[in-house]
Amino acid sequence: MKTAQAGTLESMDCLVTASEAEKGKGIFITMEGSNIARFRDSILKTAKTTLQEMGIKDVILSIQYNGANDIVLKARVEAAAKALIGGDN
Amino acid sequence: MAVNAVGRDIPSSIPGYKDDVVLFRGATKRLPKGNRYGKKNRTTFFTKTDKTLPNIKAAIRESGLQSGMTISFHHHLRNGDYVVNMVLDACAEMGIKDLVIFPTALFGIHKHLTKHIQKGVIRQIQGSVNGPIGQLVSEGGMELPVVLRSHGGRPRAVISGDVKIDVAFIAAPTADKYGNLTGACGQSACGSLGYTHTDADYAECVVAITDNLVEYPAPYIQIPQTQVDYVVQVDKIGDPAGIVSGTTRVTRDPMRLLIARYAAKLIESSPYFKEGISFQTGAGGISLATAAYVRDAMRKRGIKGSFGLGGITSFFVDMLEEGLFKQIMDVQSFDLAAVESISRNAAHVEISADWYANPWNAGCMVNMLDTVVLGATEVDRNFNVNVNTESDGALLHGIGGHQDTASGAKLTIITTPLLRGRLPSVVDSVYTVTTPGEVVDAVVTEFGVAINPKRQDLLDAIKPSKDLPLVTIDELAEKAKKIAGEMAPIEYTDRIIGVIEYRDGSVIDVVRQIKKK
Repeated sequence: MKTAQAGTLESMDCLVTASEAEKGKGIFITMEGSNIARFRDSILKTAKTTLQEMGIKDVILSIQYNGANDIVLKARVEAAAKALIGGDN
Repeated sequence: MAVNAVGRDIPSSIPGYKDDVVLFRGATKRLPKGNRYGKKNRTTFFTKTDKTLPNIKAAIRESGLQSGMTISFHHHLRNGDYVVNMVLDACAEMGIKDLVIFPTALFGIHKHLTKHIQKGVIRQIQGSVNGPIGQLVSEGGMELPVVLRSHGGRPRAVISGDVKIDVAFIAAPTADKYGNLTGACGQSACGSLGYTHTDADYAECVVAITDNLVEYPAPYIQIPQTQVDYVVQVDKIGDPAGIVSGTTRVTRDPMRLLIARYAAKLIESSPYFKEGISFQTGAGGISLATAAYVRDAMRKRGIKGSFGLGGITSFFVDMLEEGLFKQIMDVQSFDLAAVESISRNAAHVEISADWYANPWNAGCMVNMLDTVVLGATEVDRNFNVNVNTESDGALLHGIGGHQDTASGAKLTIITTPLLRGRLPSVVDSVYTVTTPGEVVDAVVTEFGVAINPKRQDLLDAIKPSKDLPLVTIDELAEKAKKIAGEMAPIEYTDRIIGVIEYRDGSVIDVVRQIKKK
C-alpha cells in the first residue's frame, strides 16, 4: 500500500499520514492526540474539505494531532495528499 | 443551589465536604470568629530524652492512629518523596482504613496511592491532586470530593479548626533523637520546611521521619523538639533527583520571552517600581524570564528591592547576593542553590505557610508584596483565573499560592501565551474559578497587555508604547477564539468531585466528574 506523510509531532503541529484506498471506498479519517475531544469535529471538517478541494475521493488519513490550528492542519493534509498522488514514496 | 460572587452555582450542602457550605462573597468579605483551635496539653520529663522508635509501624501504633482519622504530609520533597507512600503502605498493612489524607500537595510519584484509594485505605484527599491521582478522581474514582486550599487557606483551615490533624508525618532531611528537625542538610536536603510548621504546631501527634539522624542537637533547627512527639529513622526519605532541580533555566522561546518583556515593562512603568520594591515570581519559564528583565531594569536604574518571596530559586539567591534584595523569604526551596543558601545566609529566611499567606492572622507576607507574576491555565473576560482544571475538565493542579499572592500584591500580573497548542488561554468564562478577577490587575500575552478596568489608577499611570502595547481583555478573548476556531464543550456529569476553597474558607467553585471517553 502506498503511503505518504507530512508534518511533525511538535506542539502546535500534526503528523498526517495519507494511504491509498480502493476506488469507491471514500474518505476515511482517524485521529489521536492532545485535546482531540475539543476539536474533533473541526479537524474532520477541515481535513475533508481540503481533500475534496483537491478532488481526492478515496483515501485513508491518519492524523496525529498536537494542537495545529486550521491553517497548519490544512497545509499538512494537502502536503500528505499531494505526496501520495504524485510522490514516489 | 445559590450563586456566589463569581457567578458559580454552588450547592448549599456538599456530601463529604460540608452541610452548610459558605459561599464566596468577595476577596475580603469573610472574617474569622471565635478562638484558635488547640491541641491537648502534654508533658515530657527529664526521664525521657530519646523519642526515636524503630520503624514507621511502631510510630503509627504509638501515635494512636485509627481508621477514619486525618493524617497530614508536606511536599518539600516534591516528586522525590518516599514518605507519603511508605506511611500509607504501613497503614494498609496494619489494617487501618478510611483515612483522610491532608497533604500540602501530591505529585506523580504518589500514583502509588491509587491502590490504597481503590482498597479504601484512603477515603478522602484534602489537598492538591496532580497527575494520575487527579485523573482518577476526575473520572469518579473517589467517593468523597477532593478539597483544594491555597498555601494560605490550608494553615487557615488548621488554625481555625476547620481541619483537625490527628497525626502529622514530617519528612525530615535531618533530625536528632529529641525531634529537632531541619531541611537544610542531609542526603535528602530540601531547604525550607515552610509548609510543615502549622502541622507541627496543631497536629495532635507529630511523627518525624528522617534518613539522617544526627547527634543532639541538630544544626540549623527549623522545627523544634517542643513540637515533635516521635522520630523514626529509615534508609531513604526520598530521591534527591526528584527533590531539587540542579539549575533553573530561563526560557529561550522567543514568544515567551516577548511576554516576559511586556510583563517586565509593565512593572517598570508602574508606580511600584521604586526603591524597596518587593517581588514574587513562580519558577516557570515566563516568570523567571520576567524576573530577569526586572533585575536588569533594577541594575540600570540603580534600584534596590526589599524582599523576594515564595518558592525560591537560584535566581533570587543571586539577586540577594548582588544586593538587589535585602532578604528573601522562603517557603519552599526549588533548587540546589536555594537549599545551600538558606543555612549559609542569614538574610535568606525560612517562613511558614501561615507567615507567608494565611489571611487569618495578624498579617502575612503577601500583604507586603508590591508585585507578583503568576501563570494561568485560563483567564476570562472578568479576569477570573483557572489554574486547577485542564482543557478536558480534569482536576490536575493545586492552587499553590495563586489566590494568596494575587490577593495580597498591589500589582498582580498573569502571564500566559494567548493559546497553548490550539487551546485559548483567554476565554469568555473559565471552566473553574481559582482566583477571582477582582484581585487580578493585568493579563500579559504575546498580543498585548490587558489591564483590569477596575484599576483606572494603573491605566492612568501607564503610557502605552511599542514595548507595552495595551489591549482590552475582550480583544484578547476575541483574538484567541478566532485563532482556535470552533470547540466542543467539556462533557461532565452533575457529580461533584472537587471543591475549590477560596483562601478564607468560602467556596469559590466546584469541579464535576468528567464523562469518560
